[in-house]
Order: sequence, then structure tokens, then C-alpha cells
Amino acid sequence: MAESLLTVFLKALLLAVALLGAFAYMTLIERRILGRMQHRIGPNRTGPFGLLQPIADALKSIFKQDILPARADKFVFVLAPAISITFALAAFGAIPGGPAGSLFGFDPWVVDLDIGLLYVLAATSMGVYGIFLGGWAANSKYALLGSLRSAAQIISYELGLGLSVLTIIMIAGTLNLREIVEIGVWSVSPWLWPGLAVAFVTFVISGIAEVNRTPFDLPEAEQEIVAGYLTEYSSIKWALFQMAEYVNMFTAAAFMSTLFLGGYKGPGFMNALIPGSADWPIVWLVAKMAIFMFLFIWLRATLPRLRYDQLMRFGWIYLFEVALGAALLTGAVIAFVL
Amino acid sequence: MATFVVLAVVMVVGALGVVLLKQPVHAALSLVGTLLTLAVTYVTLEAHFLAAVQVIVYAGAIMVLFLFVLMLLNVQDTGPRRSLPGLRWAAYAAAVVTATAIAAVAFWDGRPAPDPAVVSLHLQGGSAGGIGDALFGELLLAFHLVGVLLLTGVVGAVALVQRRAESAHGAPKGTGLPAGRDAADGKARALASGGRR
Repeated sequence: MAESLLTVFLKALLLAVALLGAFAYMTLIERRILGRMQHRIGPNRTGPFGLLQPIADALKSIFKQDILPARADKFVFVLAPAISITFALAAFGAIPGGPAGSLFGFDPWVVDLDIGLLYVLAATSMGVYGIFLGGWAANSKYALLGSLRSAAQIISYELGLGLSVLTIIMIAGTLNLREIVEIGVWSVSPWLWPGLAVAFVTFVISGIAEVNRTPFDLPEAEQEIVAGYLTEYSSIKWALFQMAEYVNMFTAAAFMSTLFLGGYKGPGFMNALIPGSADWPIVWLVAKMAIFMFLFIWLRATLPRLRYDQLMRFGWIYLFEVALGAALLTGAVIAFVL
Repeated sequence: MATFVVLAVVMVVGALGVVLLKQPVHAALSLVGTLLTLAVTYVTLEAHFLAAVQVIVYAGAIMVLFLFVLMLLNVQDTGPRRSLPGLRWAAYAAAVVTATAIAAVAFWDGRPAPDPAVVSLHLQGGSAGGIGDALFGELLLAFHLVGVLLLTGVVGAVALVQRRAESAHGAPKGTGLPAGRDAADGKARALASGGRR
């Protein structure tokens, strides 16, 4: 169903607003959960359950002084946060939220691309430029170290990500995210389960590395290099980088759910409880994303950060080979068993 | 057509930026912009797969490595270098002649363009399947040859770096090293002895 340009534009706008709203409240949820995990209470003073805290934080960010370092490359310094947030928001557009026409007669996605999977990978791989250029433009040693780490890390873990995705592509035979969900990769054959299970694990690990979350948060390791690429940023530009990081987390969570956990489809037994409820748009995708978001926060509260050499060795020697093995296994099963 | 003209102008400006900007990081960024615009041009031609691969491989991976090296070495413009007199103008002239030749061949080619229906049939909506079939069927030999060519390039690069590393290692102290490195060594020694005092 072809939709008018205006509808697509409005949906894109709605999605961007929803993602940024979710970002604001995700910071609160994360701080509350982290508090609990570390035997603290967490922010609960501003409004009931601390619900007004994100608004207070946003106002503070906007009204803080915006410092532009004197020796910075000013154009690139201002450009970098814009690159980060633009590509972070753009990446989510291709992820389907439900079956065609299920959202009050509209399609619950912004664009339905035949190469949706590659589009998400492309948009997220462009996001690294924000971090990378921001750290360089600040003309500060800590920021530059953060940038270099981030570039090396993202290039290294893109391999694991790509090879894990290869397993899905071979099974589904399409790059269209909606078709991948409709096919249901786990239902094709039990012979494919081992390869899929391994690919799922490697995909989640590389996904966490791609969004720079603990234990892979070396680009902004605050105990070693102050705040890495963020060191010289303040006020709203700093907030834009934070937004980009959280939106990237949402995209990673949605991408993991869409590829491996059936995306927008609800579990079949829900139809027995409430007829038709497994086909509700958005609801199931958000529920599955919540699981991954909780996992990210849980890992942050639990795991120590990797050392740089450990990060590189793990990415190139273990993750890459294991993901390659899963892809080869899946290829062999498809070629010789099925 | 209007879209193409706008994209082409952006691309040409980006390409000129790569050559003319003084700061190497700015030049590399300009190249990223050019590559992204090229990807958008592919999208306007319905070659979606090619566009995505263009962004992932060139803009997302290769250019990040370029920038990584530029930042790691902190390459700066060191001012005018000695070169053959008139080399700059010869380079400009060669570029203009080449561009004119390519444009002439493209626009005054007598052969008829293939029928749009045939083209779109082959592109199959720009999907990965069509390109895969072509690469691993009809063009298999060429595909393998390109692989061998790239491997040759990698081996050549390693061989070049390897020889230099060996000669620098085996050379007697104080010779064969660039002057800057000697000076840096001296400075480091001075610092170390100062620290001991």
C-alpha cells in the first residue's frame, strides 16, 4: 500500500518525538533500576516516583552555558552531535511495528525497504562519525583518545554483527525486515536452531559493543579518559550525544527483537487468552525491546569494563570466529540437510 | 533530472573539497559527503542494494579507517613542499582533459541506450538477488580476478612496510632513521636524564 508523502512525513515526525520522549524516561528508568541494583533508592524526589526528573534534567541541559573550546575546530565540533542524532533517529525508520495497515489503517513503519536490514546497518554505521569527529574536533587529548577507541571498536564489532546477521539472511532469504518477521526464522527447521542460537548470542554481544554500553563503554571510560569524546561538550550538544546513545540503544533492541525474537508478532498463546491480541501493532515490539533495555542496564550494573587489548582480542579472535562458525554451520545445514 | 543535477553539483563540490581543502580531516569529510551523495544517486536510480553497500563499505568502514589513521598520526598541512615547477598546473590541466573526455564519451556515444524495461528487469528493483546472480554467475571470473587483484594489493602493502621495518631495525644507530625521529630520541633521552637528576 503506497502512502502519501505527507503521511510518511507525519509518521517519521511522530516516531522521532516518541523516541526522544522514550529517551527522557529511559534515563529515569535506568537510574532507578541501577539504584535498586546497587542498594540505593535512585532519583525519587522530583514529582511522584521521580517522574518529573527528566523534565528537570532537560531544562537544566538547555539553560547551561554552551562552551565552545577556543582551539576547537568549530564547524566540525558543532556538526558532530547533529550527525550522531540524525543517523540514530534515521536508523529506526525501517523497523516494522506491526503487520501492514494494522495501525488504525496506517502501516506501522516509516519506510518499508526491500533492503531494510542493510539500511539499519548503514545508518548505524554512519552514526560513528558523530562520536569520532566530536572527539577530534575538541582538540583535547582525552577526547581524541575516546574517538580513536570508538572507531577501532565499532569497526571491529561490525564484523561480528554482520556475520551474525548473515545467518538470518541465509535462513530468511530476504533483506526485508517485515518479511523476516513474517517468515519467523525459528519456525523454519529445528536443524537450524543451533546456528541461530549462537548467532543470537554473538549478535547481542556485538550490538552492545556497537552502542558503546558497558562492558564496552571504552570511548567514554570516565575513570581513564575523563569522559572520552564527551569531555569538552556541554549543555545541549552534550544532551544531543546522550539522546543519540539512547536512541541507538532503542534501535539495537528493536533490531535484535525483529531479527531473532519475532519482532512485532506476539506469542501465539495470547490469542487464546484475548483473541487477536498477538497481532496488535507496536505493543509486542515495545515489550521485547524492554527486555533488551533491561538487559543493557543489568549488564551496566554488573560487569566491569573490558581493557582495550581484551576488547580487541575478544572481538577479533573469539566473536568473529564464533559468528563465522554459526554462519558456516547454517549454510551447511541449508545446503546439505534441508 | 532536476534531482540528478542537484546531486551532481553536490558531488562535484565535494570532490573539489577533497582536493582543495588544506586540513586532511576536512578533506576526508568532504570525501564522505561525496560518497553519501553518490549513494543517494543510486537510490534515485532504484539501485537500493548498491546504495546500502556503498554506505556500509565506503562511508561506514573504509573512510572511518582513513580518518582513524589521519587522527592517529595527527597529519597536518606542513606548507608548500618542493615539487617540479608547474606540476600543479599540469595536474589541473590533466584533470580537466580527463573529465572532458569522459563527459564527451558519455554524452556523444552513438550506441543507443538499453531499453529501460530491460534495465529494470535486470535490476529487479535493485535487490540483492539480481546482483548476486550476476556476480556469481555471468561475472564469476571477473569477480575472482578482482579478488586476486585486491589480495595482490594487500600483499604488496605488507611487503613494502615489512622491508622498511626490517631495514630500520637492522641499521646502525643514528643512520637510516628520519631526522625527526633522531631529534625525538634525543629529547626523550634528555627528559629521562633530567628526571634522574
